[in-house]
Amino acid sequence: MNAFEYVRPDDVAGAVTMVSRDPHASYLAGGTTLLDLVLKDGVVELGRVVDITRLPLRGISRGDDTLRVGALTTMEELAADPTVTERLPFVREALLLGASPQLRNMATVGGNILQRTRCRYFRDPTVAACNKRAPGSGCAAVTGVARMHAILGARAACIALHASDLCVPLVALDAVVHIQGVGGKRSVPLTEFYVLPGDRPDIENVLQHGELITEVEVPLLPVNARSGYLKVRDRASYEFALTSAAAALLIEDGTIARARLALGGVGTIPRRAREAEELLNGAPAVNQTFRAAAEVALRDPFTVSGTAFKVELAKRTIVRILQTVSGVQS
Amino acid sequence: MTVVTANKLLGDPVDRVDGPLKVTGAAPYPSDVTYPGLVHAVLVQSTIAAGTIRSIDAADAEAAPGVLAVITHENAPALAEGPMTPLLGPAPPSPLKDNRILHHGQHVAIVVAETLEQATAAARLVRIDYEETAPVLGIDNPEAAVLRNPWGLETQRGDAAAALASAEVVYDETFAIAAGTNNPLGLFATVARWEGDRLIVHESTQWPTMARQTLATVFNVPENDVQVLVPYLGGGFGAGLRTWPHAILTALAARLVDRPVKLVLTRPQMFTSVGHRAETTQRLRLGATRAGRLVAIDHVGTSTLGAEAANMEFISIETGAAYACPNVATHDRQVRLNIPSPGWMRGPGSEGNFAIESALDELSYTLGIDPLELRLRNYAEVHPQSGLPWSSKALRECYRVGAERFGWTRRTPEIGSMREGNWLVGYGMAGVTFGGAQLPCQVRVSIRRDGSAHVRSAATDIGTGTYTVATQLAAELLGLDIGQVRVEIGDSDLAPAPPSGGSSLATSLGGAIRDAAGNLLRAFLNVLAEDHRSPLQGRRRDDVTAADGRIHLVDDPSVGETYSDILARHELDELAADGEINPQADGAGMAPSGPFAARFAEVRIDAELGLLRVARIVSAVDAGRILNEKLARSQIIGATVMGIGMTMLEETIFDPGSGRIANATFGDYLIPVNADVPDLDVVFVGEPDRFSPIGSKGLGEVGIVGVSAAIANAVYHATGRRIRSLPITIDQLL
Ligand SMILES: Cc1cc2nc3c(=O)[nH]c(=O)nc-3n(C[C@H](O)[C@H](O)[C@H](O)COP(=O)(O)OP(=O)(O)OC[C@H]3O[C@@H](n4cnc5c(N)ncnc54)[C@H](O)[C@@H]3O)c2cc1C
Ligand code: SF4
Repeated sequence: MNAFEYVRPDDVAGAVTMVSRDPHASYLAGGTTLLDLVLKDGVVELGRVVDITRLPLRGISRGDDTLRVGALTTMEELAADPTVTERLPFVREALLLGASPQLRNMATVGGNILQRTRCRYFRDPTVAACNKRAPGSGCAAVTGVARMHAILGARAACIALHASDLCVPLVALDAVVHIQGVGGKRSVPLTEFYVLPGDRPDIENVLQHGELITEVEVPLLPVNARSGYLKVRDRASYEFALTSAAAALLIEDGTIARARLALGGVGTIPRRAREAEELLNGAPAVNQTFRAAAEVALRDPFTVSGTAFKVELAKRTIVRILQTVSGVQS
Repeated sequence: MTVVTANKLLGDPVDRVDGPLKVTGAAPYPSDVTYPGLVHAVLVQSTIAAGTIRSIDAADAEAAPGVLAVITHENAPALAEGPMTPLLGPAPPSPLKDNRILHHGQHVAIVVAETLEQATAAARLVRIDYEETAPVLGIDNPEAAVLRNPWGLETQRGDAAAALASAEVVYDETFAIAAGTNNPLGLFATVARWEGDRLIVHESTQWPTMARQTLATVFNVPENDVQVLVPYLGGGFGAGLRTWPHAILTALAARLVDRPVKLVLTRPQMFTSVGHRAETTQRLRLGATRAGRLVAIDHVGTSTLGAEAANMEFISIETGAAYACPNVATHDRQVRLNIPSPGWMRGPGSEGNFAIESALDELSYTLGIDPLELRLRNYAEVHPQSGLPWSSKALRECYRVGAERFGWTRRTPEIGSMREGNWLVGYGMAGVTFGGAQLPCQVRVSIRRDGSAHVRSAATDIGTGTYTVATQLAAELLGLDIGQVRVEIGDSDLAPAPPSGGSSLATSLGGAIRDAAGNLLRAFLNVLAEDHRSPLQGRRRDDVTAADGRIHLVDDPSVGETYSDILARHELDELAADGEINPQADGAGMAPSGPFAARFAEVRIDAELGLLRVARIVSAVDAGRILNEKLARSQIIGATVMGIGMTMLEETIFDPGSGRIANATFGDYLIPVNADVPDLDVVFVGEPDRFSPIGSKGLGEVGIVGVSAAIANAVYHATGRRIRSLPITIDQLL
């Protein structure tokens, strides 16, 4: 634990300037990811911690067909929002299946999007080989004990999972991230926000150092759509997903008019399953369709011995959520 | 031996006497202790599993703010090895002996600084240059040294090999159980202070008497000059049976910096520093007749062991006692690896039970006999090894009552025949025979002039309820209210006591209290021997009993007088008596029994997703006399939860290349949460045990045993999948 400076600005521009100018500064929201990395694990060394919890970025407002969620809104607050319950029920499910009530009361939506991987090799500074922590050093997980790791978008350089539940329905919904930097504001769809590991697993998203997430804009589902989130794990509660799936379907006369599908627990980033959606759109809502969509969604996985079982598990997870949402029996 | 007879308080579900202190945060745990001038220590642990330290550069750490000392093998004084420990074998090797590394996480330095933050920061500045060699890892590793029958505990009776060769039905399978970590919630802590050559240590231990002996031996001081204090402990589960190297290092640091030093292990350090349940494999062969009579058992248990440490392992210890089978052979193997030393974890023997009780279930399908009936056909009416009658055994009663409460007859035997909605339903059961233990124990009991009693012993309450049952027993035996009894334990200066371990303490301490209470009544009668004013003058122990703060004649309760009156008249502040038990099984004409139990589990399985959830568990337990129904139930419930963890979640994973524990945090090492814990029904059956002076048998551990097999057997009933390796996770069920 190295000594660091702690500051708590109360205006957005000031906070952004402070962090942008200082390569050793970082934002602190709920702290449920950051404090572990800095204080407990000692894998992130900071010179300055910029507490943003007093910035006016907390709260939810409803537009005609979107919900605007301030970055500092907590997971629990978002889950309790009536519009979420009514029009985005799978977002609520994903939130409530995540972490624990204590954590959800601290953890923010912005922080959830930016949570770091749970890979234990990443989180242990005594492990030398971790390309995400030390680019070029190798990957201890690929030859080590991997289970809570990714099989899609993974490669030998890094198989770290993005473990968020919330982000799974959010990518399915085409949520948009609003960002403020020193040079001004910009918006990026969440599906384009994350970067696959490639040769630089340390680069996880399109944010420049110091850019602040101010808001997440979430399109509402049509009133007649149905949605659901399924999270599969050994422990009945308080565990990250081995596999998960978020699905929203609009079904007309037994045919899928519009499908949205995304996967958790399997991707280096929250995975939108676009090819599977294409297959589902216009197809009959029957088990054969669902299985075909699952096959497409899991095409070309990268597995190691500890993660191989997740391929079939993820397919079954997809089939089950599609059955549940569509009301088709297995 | 007689048992305590007609009584009022015993068995009553009295609330914990220490409850208010605990829920208000007033109970001082070792990590709460502080002193003026206290400084903090942080450990530096090896980041390789095997090799040597080439050099240590501690210059930056020593120069860091607040640092008082960086102690390594290069500057540490030589420490003696700890003593041989009754029950457990040799003490763990003393730390900082030389430059050799035997496991990942070995303590290689201890940094002492004015504040915890300074010590933590400085510990990260200690630079160590290692010469790494290939570690020996993996229980199947052919390069690992294997110890055979290391503890002389193997069982032989009849001729198992011959009986197997000629048996009508033969069963031969292997089982594997992952390593597990005890993980008491309270992080282990040591606060050490020297007053000249006297050492005072507040220590997370389940055994102050042994901790004192170990520290005295290691630091070469008389035992009387070491005091170990642990009035409260945040759980132990076996991790506190040893005095581990970190405690020795803390005492060493306190001596070198001449200040009181506190060390609190971090959660990851709890995985490497205070033992764990060894990984095990077992090969089990059974021979049986078609009618379901066991004719042979051959059981080989293999467990992992540290490179130099010792650990008395218990895998097949109950195999010979569990069933009436004429030919039994058990074999113990220990495999030396570069891993942190395993140690006892609550419920040793649960591993062997998993194998035996799974195997019987398999046999029940092979033979077409109900699993419960199969067990009854092999019921051990007498102790099968010694042929002696049990001191108590109500296992048949456990089966009957447990089955009734569970609704075992509703089970349809065909695999996959029970369903609820999309979920497959399975019923499974297991029988449990667990070792009995009563250990030598001493206590001093006194009564003061105000009529209150004081019970003192170096025993501990690790959360199990020692304070409460000791209070109840003393009150009962001395005829006092619970509020008049004060129990003082957790101090090695008091009368020597065995550990809170091996399910032994309540019975051992209870027996000693009973002895002391009798001696105390005798002491009062002695005082009155020449006292003409006393109606009890000249009476003998057998003539009197105690109630309502008075000693009175058994035959005529109106004849007697109060403790207070006696003490006042004789101008005594208090009268004390010592008590002890020193159990001798030899020549007792019976086999001392441990607890027995029957476990019944109902599971739900989502076969497509591999999801396993336990719906309910019924436990019928024979633990002899139940001293406090509420505490006893809590013990069984808590242990059952640990059993669920062992069966479905818990696994200490060693990185195959580096020997580093890959999941040493609560985020990664899964223990059951409330959502995993279903309705747990507990019922006690049986009679007071004849060998135990107070009729009780230990029940702190038996609640774990049998859970794994009951669940695995239910999984088979639901799905037809026989799982012989724990934990049973989703990938095994897909
Ligand atoms: C034990 C445990 C279990 C968990 N289980 C789950 C689970 O089951 N499912 C799940 O989805 N998640 C889970 N989580 C993760 C949890 O949801 C995240 O830690 C949390 O959402 C992070 O939010 P925070 O506000 O605490 O972020 P912080 O820790 O404060 O910040 C996280 C990162 O984001 C940056 N940051 C935060 N806000 C902003 C912003 N507005 N703009 C730019 N940068 C920002 C910080 O600098 C930091 O790098 C779990 C976490 C823990 C500790
Ligand atoms: S998987 Fe990624 S984060 Fe984990 S060790 Fe490999 S490179 Fe590091």
